[in-house]
Amino acid sequence: MSASLKVAQPVDWTGIVFAVVLTLVIVAPLLVVGTWAFTNVWRFPSVIPQEFGLKFWYQTLARADVWSSITMSLTLATTVTVLSAIICLPAAYAFARLDFPGRDILFFSFLAGHAFPKFGLLVAIAGIFLQLNLIGTFWGVVLIQLVGTLLFMIWIPVAAFQAVDRRMEEAARDVGASPFRVFWSITLPQAGPTIAAALLLSFVGTFYETEGAWLIGAPQVRTLPVLMISFINNQPVIQYGAVLSVLLWVPSFIALLFARRVVNSGSFAKGFGG
Amino acid sequence: MTTTDAGALAPAPTQRKRPIGLLLVAAPVLLVLWLIIWPIISAVIQTLWLPTSDGGRALSVSSYEFFANDPYSRANLAITLWTTGVCAIFLLLICLPIALYLRFSNSKIAAYVQGLAIFPMFVPSIILSFAFIRVLGPNGTVDLLLNSVGLPKIKSPYLTPWGPVIGLVWDNIPLTVLILLSGLGNVSNQAIEAARDVGAGRLMLFWHIILPRISNSILVAISFAVLGIFSAFTLPYVLGPAAPEMMGPFMQRTFRDLFDPTNAITQAVITFGFCILFGLFYVRSVAKNRTP
Repeated sequence: MSASLKVAQPVDWTGIVFAVVLTLVIVAPLLVVGTWAFTNVWRFPSVIPQEFGLKFWYQTLARADVWSSITMSLTLATTVTVLSAIICLPAAYAFARLDFPGRDILFFSFLAGHAFPKFGLLVAIAGIFLQLNLIGTFWGVVLIQLVGTLLFMIWIPVAAFQAVDRRMEEAARDVGASPFRVFWSITLPQAGPTIAAALLLSFVGTFYETEGAWLIGAPQVRTLPVLMISFINNQPVIQYGAVLSVLLWVPSFIALLFARRVVNSGSFAKGFGG
Repeated sequence: MTTTDAGALAPAPTQRKRPIGLLLVAAPVLLVLWLIIWPIISAVIQTLWLPTSDGGRALSVSSYEFFANDPYSRANLAITLWTTGVCAIFLLLICLPIALYLRFSNSKIAAYVQGLAIFPMFVPSIILSFAFIRVLGPNGTVDLLLNSVGLPKIKSPYLTPWGPVIGLVWDNIPLTVLILLSGLGNVSNQAIEAARDVGAGRLMLFWHIILPRISNSILVAISFAVLGIFSAFTLPYVLGPAAPEMMGPFMQRTFRDLFDPTNAITQAVITFGFCILFGLFYVRSVAKNRTP
């Protein structure tokens, strides 16, 4: 802001150095993967691929394991997001609007899982699942991923409900609208965009959740990230992994388009304790 | 601390303490009790209350003794501590300058730098692992470029302890920068200008004015990173050496490949023990920023 007052701005050398270094270490590796995905032949000493093409897109998309894991990932993420919405949104409304015994302590109880290293907690949960025969089952993975969405799916909608203009709701009540009508016509449209962001975050987060799916689900439940791990470990054809990486990035790209403004705002970092 | 706020928000006298709220929050709260609180308690009980030879159970620390006396387990713990420490140091050395630059610059380049620093948040770690191998792995892009100018190949960090370090630092840059940047928001321009007026140099300014004001944010950023890195699984599993391995892959292998849940859960409780201070501090900081 103060810079705009100056007539001539000095060259921002620090910025240029940061920009160049970060481009090299953050963007360049991903461009390499992108290039590999559209490469038919790229043998060692050549700096650029010998032959570009879509050959490996056809081959990757012809694989049954790729399709079954895409279906599995989408089914899992949808199931978890829907279940999470069903149990969390009414709870968020209650936390935002109603007063009840133990409200504060219950609100903060959702932080409990964040006080522990995540994979250690997953192993402890897996110990419980072992007794319940949930290891290697679809619903076992659903449960473990559902737990991972609770904090976002309650805390973000609570903020959304609290931001709704109460005077508008009261005015609607005064002219005789039923509580349900008020919720549907006044509260939901105002809180909607933020709740949609929470749903998107929950869906994308679940889509990429690898550790719970691997620990609880393998080998029966194979999601796209889990398939990617086995491609990295056992697949000699590099292009399969590269094509799968590009496919795998799609949900993240969608999240990137929608979430950038949220992430850049100060309140986002505050949510992580900053 | 917040009941007064809620009271002030409550519009109608009917909004007194009503148990209907409890009913609405019951499902997620029970889920937390069943799948977070209970597993942790159960993990401690299960690893201390072990089956005996005569079919009963007795209080015993033998699974912890096994961990403490097993050289392989100890090596895994050591590599985990090393990785976590090295990552924390690198994260600070990389992210603090970026955050300082972003706080005090408002050029167009700064917006680009901020976009890049946050970008890894939108790259799943499994894609990052693949990109890492393609660039720094054997015959990767770096090797190609070195080879083309007649230089020898690099000693690849892939499958060495430095593999997970590079991956985990890359992965943790966005949130570390954001948390530090949020802390730097507490440093007022007046304080900086006042110090400049009395002739403070850049280093003095950083040490005496900025650092005291962001020390809490630094601790939060470190705690968050430590919690994530200490039991990280995907990046160490894909990029790290097979032995010694970090606690994440070690627990996974003990649980799923060796079918030894008792020792896996013992390892989990040990990771809880090492991280408990960071965890409590982190949760306290998040809770302080948020009132229901």
